[in-house]
Amino acid sequence: MTMVPSRVLLGSSTVNASEIAHFSRLSAQWWDERGEFSFLHSMNPIRMQFIRQKFAETTLDESETKIDSTKTGVLMGLDVLDVGCGGGLLSESLARLGARVLGIDASESNIAIAKHHASLDSTLNSNLSYKHTSAEVLLNRPKRFDVVCSMEVLEHVDNPTAFLSTCAELIKPSGHLFLSTISRTPLAYLLTIFLAEKALRKVTEGTHTYSKYIKPSELIEYFREYRSLDNSRPWISRISGDLPTRTEAEVRGLVYNPLQSNWILAPRGAWGATDCNYLFWVRKPGPVQ
Amino acid sequence: MWRATGTRTSHCSSHLRVFTHHSRKRCRYSTSASKPDEYDVVIVGGGPAGLALASALGSKQALRETLRIALVEASDLSKVHDWSTSPNTFSNRVSSLTNVSQAFLRDIGAWNEVDRERTAPIEEMQVWDGISDARISFSASEIGLEHSEKGMARLTENLNLQRGLLRLLHKIQGVHIVDKSKVHSITSTGPGTWPLVHLDNNQTLKARLLVGADGLNSPVRTFAQISSFGWAYDTQGVVATMHHPPRSVFENPNTTAYQRFLPTGPIAFLPLSPTMSSLVWSTKTPIAAALKACEPSVLARMINAAFRLPEVSLQYLYNRILESQSLGKLITDSEMRDEIRWREQSHAVDPNSAYSSSAFDAPPTTPGIPPSDSQMIPPLVTSLQNGSVASFPLRFNHTEAYIGEGKGARTVLVGDAAHTIHPMAGQGLNLGLGDVECLARCIEDAVVSGGDVGSYTALLPYTQERYFANHKVMTACDKLHKLYSFTAEPIVWARSMGLEVVNEFDSVKAALMMTAGSNPRMHRSSTNINGGVSRTVFDVAAAGLQKVDAANSAVRAIRSGILGFAAGGLQAIAKAASDAREKDANKMD
Repeated sequence: MTMVPSRVLLGSSTVNASEIAHFSRLSAQWWDERGEFSFLHSMNPIRMQFIRQKFAETTLDESETKIDSTKTGVLMGLDVLDVGCGGGLLSESLARLGARVLGIDASESNIAIAKHHASLDSTLNSNLSYKHTSAEVLLNRPKRFDVVCSMEVLEHVDNPTAFLSTCAELIKPSGHLFLSTISRTPLAYLLTIFLAEKALRKVTEGTHTYSKYIKPSELIEYFREYRSLDNSRPWISRISGDLPTRTEAEVRGLVYNPLQSNWILAPRGAWGATDCNYLFWVRKPGPVQ
Repeated sequence: MWRATGTRTSHCSSHLRVFTHHSRKRCRYSTSASKPDEYDVVIVGGGPAGLALASALGSKQALRETLRIALVEASDLSKVHDWSTSPNTFSNRVSSLTNVSQAFLRDIGAWNEVDRERTAPIEEMQVWDGISDARISFSASEIGLEHSEKGMARLTENLNLQRGLLRLLHKIQGVHIVDKSKVHSITSTGPGTWPLVHLDNNQTLKARLLVGADGLNSPVRTFAQISSFGWAYDTQGVVATMHHPPRSVFENPNTTAYQRFLPTGPIAFLPLSPTMSSLVWSTKTPIAAALKACEPSVLARMINAAFRLPEVSLQYLYNRILESQSLGKLITDSEMRDEIRWREQSHAVDPNSAYSSSAFDAPPTTPGIPPSDSQMIPPLVTSLQNGSVASFPLRFNHTEAYIGEGKGARTVLVGDAAHTIHPMAGQGLNLGLGDVECLARCIEDAVVSGGDVGSYTALLPYTQERYFANHKVMTACDKLHKLYSFTAEPIVWARSMGLEVVNEFDSVKAALMMTAGSNPRMHRSSTNINGGVSRTVFDVAAAGLQKVDAANSAVRAIRSGILGFAAGGLQAIAKAASDAREKDANKMD
């Protein structure tokens, strides 16, 4: 097993040393579904719902074939990279739907936990692997992915624009980027920092830093400008009423329902729904004709 | 002998192959005794709930293709599968399947496998107070059910249902049935590992999700360390299959269920065919034992009396039976006939009235016009089916939780393993089928979104939906049982007023019947990828608000303001969601 030494990872441009130390301390709790990471566990089915929904939509748009929603092989055969996989919550789900998943994390203990947990389920060993490395390191290798996911990571990295471009370059043409993060609004501060960390202590204090939060409009703005190295088209070319077209990018709010301790995927354009947690999807332009 | 190992089936080498569901399923299959067979779902218990869950999972193609499912049962299920009996005899264990339960069974394809000839609709219910005679009647046509001709429920022998479910399982071939195998023990090798089910045939099953459909003394519940609270009623349920003459052309057919609330417990008459019906008589344990000891004709006379005579006479008759039993000289048929005749005379019961049991000894030779009150009470029982008299103790039990945690993680309870209920409302099996329908839906939701079906996250919606729903019905039945055991005048007056008042208000009655599951409103499957999910989620969210509101009635006054606010906000989003969904749907078209 080759393991990239920690100092190399910390030397890369976006990984934040204190963030990694923070999550390493908590790593043993990743799979306690009612503990520190209970919010992520309950969010996972909704993240997967969004991913499945986007795949169903794009398949319908491109080939006019409806994906049977009761089928479980929506991601069959796709190469998926999960950046900042933590304990592997999302990676395992992606692998169960048939994707070939590589989960990477800058915390060595997270990777150890993720590997251990996956080893408890023999159905996962064939198409799920984990690596203690960073996205920047993978960029130096030739392998590119059909899908890159990075859930609840963007608000923990040091240089978000560098991180986004790294993720973007790891995607094959016509591939997909899925992100989830938290918007920089007073509401988000109230819910994710004041309530969750300070008042109710559901999440360890210091998990989130308000100034690192990113607004959906900033992500959209970034991908309006962003051009892949091998392609001169921006990823988002059209905007109508502040929102990108559904075939290029999409922002959806995630609303927590404390009474049932579950998350709700807010409908497109729901007022105020993206003021706290939200999901973001953008698609890399296809090869130039 | 089984050895504790934490290893997985290591001969599995699917990383060399192209990954498909089939190769994955095959390579996980192991037949050796030392290595456990891995299953995604292991159901312990082959009763109606366990078989229904196996059928519900096996009937869904997506689940059949992705999940390995096993069902473990101690008894020989081929006996149930090959069960056959003449059309003129009925098993004494029957259940009234509500329309909701029937719709669920139809949905999974099991209802077609049930012999419909052996089931009977309940189109009307007559319920009355044993002391005041205050009465309430329900009829399917009255409350505007869509298909009132189908009745409010269908009386079905449990064996008929179990046989139907087994036939379906044989057809779909998606479930591995391990019968004639008792669970020897259930162990876990450490936190986060899958439970191991050791069978007495040396086989070991490793379960991603272990389902306890294993009844009141559930071994799965013991393993999961889920405690249960409850009590035994000091009552027994006496069951029997009864013969009686058919209803005449001037009367409604034998599709009315009758229930009389006696202070000793309710007695129920449930129609099975024009000339046969099923008895469920809950009564004090010593009375039940004495009734069972009597010859069948004496018991038949007592059943008739229990639906007809005033409470004071019934008390006298119970004492006669108990006394004769304690003297070791059982009361004879002719003695009982004379006793009842004398009681009827002293109450001035008109011999031509339906309340008279004189026809028991002198059946009318030609069917005439029935007495005007003949529909108020069940037909006169003439005899009991041989060997059909039995009894069982009645209990109230509800577990603290439905999902195991910690060392008992990856376990879930359904049916009687989770709750046992007083049989008066005939809801026991319906609650179990409700559990099964919900759990199958949660498992499907988890599978399509790549979830782990054994995880707390996947199972939480099951508890959220079922625990309170079951508790509501169970508590209502328990309270009714207690309410009707009183004979004090003010209580009798108050409950009688209540019953009569409810009888006058159709909307209240309709509401009562809806909660008893007469109206089939099928749960939407929430797996529709193109936005259907959001709507269901919102429905659940809204339902959750209602539940919390109802559950905390003590603090409701304080909280209602906050809840109302939250509900308003969520409803606004819900509306937007359904609008968006419709727009999407239009686009898709």
